[in-house]
Amino acid sequence: MIEKLDITLIVNGRERHARVEPRRLLADVLRHELGLKGTHIGCEHGVCGACTVLLDGRSARSCLHFAVAVDGAEITTVEGLGGGDELTPIQQAFHRNHALQCGYCTPGMLVTVQEFLAREPDPDDAAIRRALSNNICRCTGYANIVAAVREAARALREAGT
Amino acid sequence: MKPAPFAFAQPDDLAGLLLALGEHGEDARILAGGQSLVPLMNLRMVQPAMLISLNRVDALDFVDVEDDRIVIGARVRQAQAEEDEAVRRHCPLLADALSFVGGQSNRNRGTVCGSLAHGDPLGEPPAAALALDAEMRIVGPHGRRTVPASQFFLGALETVIAADEMLEAVAVERTRGDERSCFLEVGNRAHGFAVAGLALRLRFDAAGTVTLARVAMIGAGDTARRIAGAETALTGRALDEAAIAEAVAHARTEVDPPSDVHADAGHRRHVLGVLLDRGLRRLAEGDDA
Amino acid sequence: MNEFVGRALLRREDAHLLRGEARFIDDVPEPDGTLHLGFVLSPHAHARILEVDTAAAAALPGIQAVLTGADIAAHVQPIVAEVEIEGYRRHGRDVVARDLVRFVGEAVAVVVAEDPYVAQDAIELVEVSYEPLAASIDMEATTAADAPRVHEAVPGNLVFEGRFATEGFDEAFAAAPHVLKERFKSGRVGGVPLEPRGCLAVPEPGGALTFYTSTQIPHMLRTAVAKYIGCPESRLRVVVPEVGGGFGTKAQIYPEEFVTAALARHFRRPVKWIQDRREELITDIHSRDHIYEVEVAFDGEGLVQALRSRVRTNAGAYSTLPFGCTLETTGGARMIVGPYRITNYAYVAQAVVTHTGPVGAYRGVAQPSCYMAIEGMMDRIARHLDIDPAEVRLRNMVPTAELPWTNVVGVRYDTGSYQESLRAAMEAIDYEGFRAGQPADRLVDGKYRGIGICSFTEVSGTGAPGWRARGLVRLPGFDTGLVRVEPSGEVTAFVSHAHAGQGHYTTFAQVVADALGVDFADVTIIEGDTAAVPYGTGTFASRSAVTGGGALIRAATKVRDKMRRIAAHILEAAVEDVVFEAGRAHVAGVEGHGVDMRRIAETAYAMNELTLPEGEDFGLEETDFYDPPLVTMANASHIARVAVDAEDGRVEIEAYAVVHDCGRLINPMIVDGQIHGGVAQGIGEALMEEFVYDDEGQIQNATLLDYLLPTAEDIPDITLGHIESPTIDAVGGFKGVGEGGVIGAVPAVLNAVGDALSGLGIEIATKPLRPSLLAGEIRKVRDGSAS
Ligand code: FES
Ligand code: FES
Repeated sequence: MIEKLDITLIVNGRERHARVEPRRLLADVLRHELGLKGTHIGCEHGVCGACTVLLDGRSARSCLHFAVAVDGAEITTVEGLGGGDELTPIQQAFHRNHALQCGYCTPGMLVTVQEFLAREPDPDDAAIRRALSNNICRCTGYANIVAAVREAARALREAGT
Repeated sequence: MKPAPFAFAQPDDLAGLLLALGEHGEDARILAGGQSLVPLMNLRMVQPAMLISLNRVDALDFVDVEDDRIVIGARVRQAQAEEDEAVRRHCPLLADALSFVGGQSNRNRGTVCGSLAHGDPLGEPPAAALALDAEMRIVGPHGRRTVPASQFFLGALETVIAADEMLEAVAVERTRGDERSCFLEVGNRAHGFAVAGLALRLRFDAAGTVTLARVAMIGAGDTARRIAGAETALTGRALDEAAIAEAVAHARTEVDPPSDVHADAGHRRHVLGVLLDRGLRRLAEGDDA
Repeated sequence: MNEFVGRALLRREDAHLLRGEARFIDDVPEPDGTLHLGFVLSPHAHARILEVDTAAAAALPGIQAVLTGADIAAHVQPIVAEVEIEGYRRHGRDVVARDLVRFVGEAVAVVVAEDPYVAQDAIELVEVSYEPLAASIDMEATTAADAPRVHEAVPGNLVFEGRFATEGFDEAFAAAPHVLKERFKSGRVGGVPLEPRGCLAVPEPGGALTFYTSTQIPHMLRTAVAKYIGCPESRLRVVVPEVGGGFGTKAQIYPEEFVTAALARHFRRPVKWIQDRREELITDIHSRDHIYEVEVAFDGEGLVQALRSRVRTNAGAYSTLPFGCTLETTGGARMIVGPYRITNYAYVAQAVVTHTGPVGAYRGVAQPSCYMAIEGMMDRIARHLDIDPAEVRLRNMVPTAELPWTNVVGVRYDTGSYQESLRAAMEAIDYEGFRAGQPADRLVDGKYRGIGICSFTEVSGTGAPGWRARGLVRLPGFDTGLVRVEPSGEVTAFVSHAHAGQGHYTTFAQVVADALGVDFADVTIIEGDTAAVPYGTGTFASRSAVTGGGALIRAATKVRDKMRRIAAHILEAAVEDVVFEAGRAHVAGVEGHGVDMRRIAETAYAMNELTLPEGEDFGLEETDFYDPPLVTMANASHIARVAVDAEDGRVEIEAYAVVHDCGRLINPMIVDGQIHGGVAQGIGEALMEEFVYDDEGQIQNATLLDYLLPTAEDIPDITLGHIESPTIDAVGGFKGVGEGGVIGAVPAVLNAVGDALSGLGIEIATKPLRPSLLAGEIRKVRDGSAS
């Protein structure tokens, strides 16, 4: 029997502890040990992007990390994006542009866009599409997601100035 | 889709890594960014008894500029290298190639060395390493050794790294003089999952004669490989129509591409020639990476 | 009153999805002691099971049990698709194979574990010995005399054959001056929803079972599960959590659902199964593995005189529940006539079984493939006669003035806009302008550039008569609305559908608000729980707006009539003089003399000093079971403009326009979203998606690395327009829209590529159009002409 290990993660600003087998995927630990079910699992082989979280500030596939290997890391999940009751400007833009249907891809999309717009505040459509191309959405056909990112970028730029 | 059980170690220094490797050897795998390894583990196509993470070894997190080379340590993430000033300035081909690797979230975690050590036949970094005459700096219980990239890749997911060794760093050549390079690939989607790819590097003298040619391809065999015939055809002459046509023809005879659900060998052979043609024209026009 | 229907109201369902608070199947809280299932899948396409050795797996710590097909058979009856149509051959399926496996991925054993990781460990330890047998993989070869048989009950592997011919067909065909023939091959694809399937069965006190499952058809699923596991239907409650995409993939009832429910009863513990992506790709229904051999006879003007088709669909190894395996076959053969005035028609439609994964009803069913065929023929007629393809279509279409019109297989087209939608789409994409600048060799700036059209009719809102016509005698067809005005005056409406991203909470609330004359904000929609919602058929085949919308309107109208009677009583006025406005009833013309909803509701619930009219029952709720007509026919035209790279064979979609007519729009924003999503799936299907089996029946691409789904960089912006021709046959005027996007996109993209390559003489009659295929074809022509 392989020993479980104690780990500490700073998840959405809170220190969380868990005792897990080395093989437990970060996605499963977030979802099933820490109860943060907003991070979704769509493929478990790194293609769909539904499981994307911020790991030490940068986007990462939580299905491609063992929780023990990121012991001590700071993680932001979809639950940690918002500022309380208000939706974030990115979330609002998704809502206003009908950029989600079933919503299964949405948490991964939001996390991806959060990182992207922080790095590239004024992207053109081609850059937006490239940034989204690592996240599959099977429902929306992407056009409304692209529109939402465009609008969110504008809103964030205006809020920043 | 859940991985099989394994034991886990994450030493704080290189000595610890080597100790663990020495102890577990064949049954252990080094975990760097995990972007290639973990999917295989989740699919249970790979089931190491132990994973040894190098992520705690800060000494492996460096980009050094040497006289002739840029040296990238084993913990350097692909995104980190792609964004690194020294890499962009002294080795634009590597940055260019890295931009084709997966998506941002893969590059944020995957390491340059990890991708080389993994030896994915359709990965971009191996082709870039070949085109950049990289030195693969391997470390093991008996010390360090350096293997040229051209001798490093043995086959699909197979390299010269022994079970008790690891890739400590990769040292790629710095751009010198009038050097131009580019990375091109095509897949069945707009981006990602290459069917065929090309890392191309040419050096010219003042007269416009090609003094060095590196043509490295993916999708051209069971591992990334240099195409000697094309390199020879390009070297020692101007990059004109005849040279381009000859190089493309050589490339098409020399490659030995696989067939799979994405493309048959004939298509790969053809588009590898197309990529080389496009790449050479780009460099002829001075529109490089 | 029409205050909310027709408006692009933002969705109510978004906020919790955006915050990560929505609960999908794997998010439903697991009760303590939940057991996790894992399925051992066959590595052979066809083999006899000699022995299943469970000992090593059972000995693993954390394993509760390992069950073979024989063990499971004690809890679940073999399932049988109840298709009753001439020419269909029934066959059963053990939900876990006992003797024979018939496709790679068929379950042969079940492990029951304390933890999903351990379940996967145990799967590897189950040792199954097989005697491999020769397999029938190819859908043409499978009916050869010596082909390996898939089922004893299906001689010749021909599981269904239907024939049809209009009177005097042969004469009509022979009389036409021109005939063209083509064989179209459509690649096998799947819905591949982003969320795989899963279910959780929780035993309740007294032998009841709550069954959470990611389905589009909760009621039909309940009936089937109760029947096959032998549970009283009244004790089985099916609850649908959020569903991460359905597309028909989840409008099926799968073996794992029976096993999970049965084992929860057997072990008296909660039992859970969550599918992984590999299982999703291998075992969920596939679709569109079709061949159409089409012959079209036409005159010099391009008018179709007669059409003959031979349709063959690959059913895979088993007929699935609840639609069986004839839906694609009958659909393809019957819908192919589309918006065209084709009066002489003959078909032979066959479904064959093979040792491949079972097929089912993926978004669009046979329509993407049958329009691939007929729209491909329209282009061929155009090229043959040198008439513009748009013109050929316009000439053949049924003009709006001639509607209602009954097509050659007896389907009524009540309203529509076939020519209008095509003309509008041509305008939107500047069809004439593009054509004017297009050289004969189609080569512009180094790429072959072409334009392609698909004009189609879309079967939606099928009612019972429509299902009967296709042999599905036990598929209900109706849906149910229950509208309740609460004592507070707010409204709760229940509808027998189950969403997977379509925005029902928003759109149905719009419908109910208008039907009752109340504020949208006061209406709450409930669906997806058989304990709360009356029986109905469910959400698939572009039907919810028609059947659910119709049922809700009818139920709301009954409630409104009752409110009017109560208001009249309170106001001491004649019933017909009472009108509703802004949540209030008043006497027509005397606005001051009125009563608000809340007071009417209180009266109905005997919560104030007022009394009900003589003979009126308490309460304020009504139910209506609405069975729409045969079908409700939507229509659209899609036009794609593409560039084909002559060297690498890649297709880029440079412009895309859709003009759609789904009758009265409930929420244009949501309708547009449905079309966008469908078009993206269609583009994927046309260019990159395909399940590939090798000769041994091994599936070659069971990961998302190898089964390619389109990304944001593969899908263009879409120019969208609407025409509204409300149906006159169904309540509400709505037509369905769920499938139109994918139906139109597949043929439009194929035809655009066909147009682009027409200068080379390359005909497009297959999909997907991978770069390797196109580059190879182009190379053949060029090498040929060079030598
Ligand atoms: S679940 Fe992690 S990328 Fe799909
Ligand atoms: S909204 Fe369903 S997958 Fe994106």
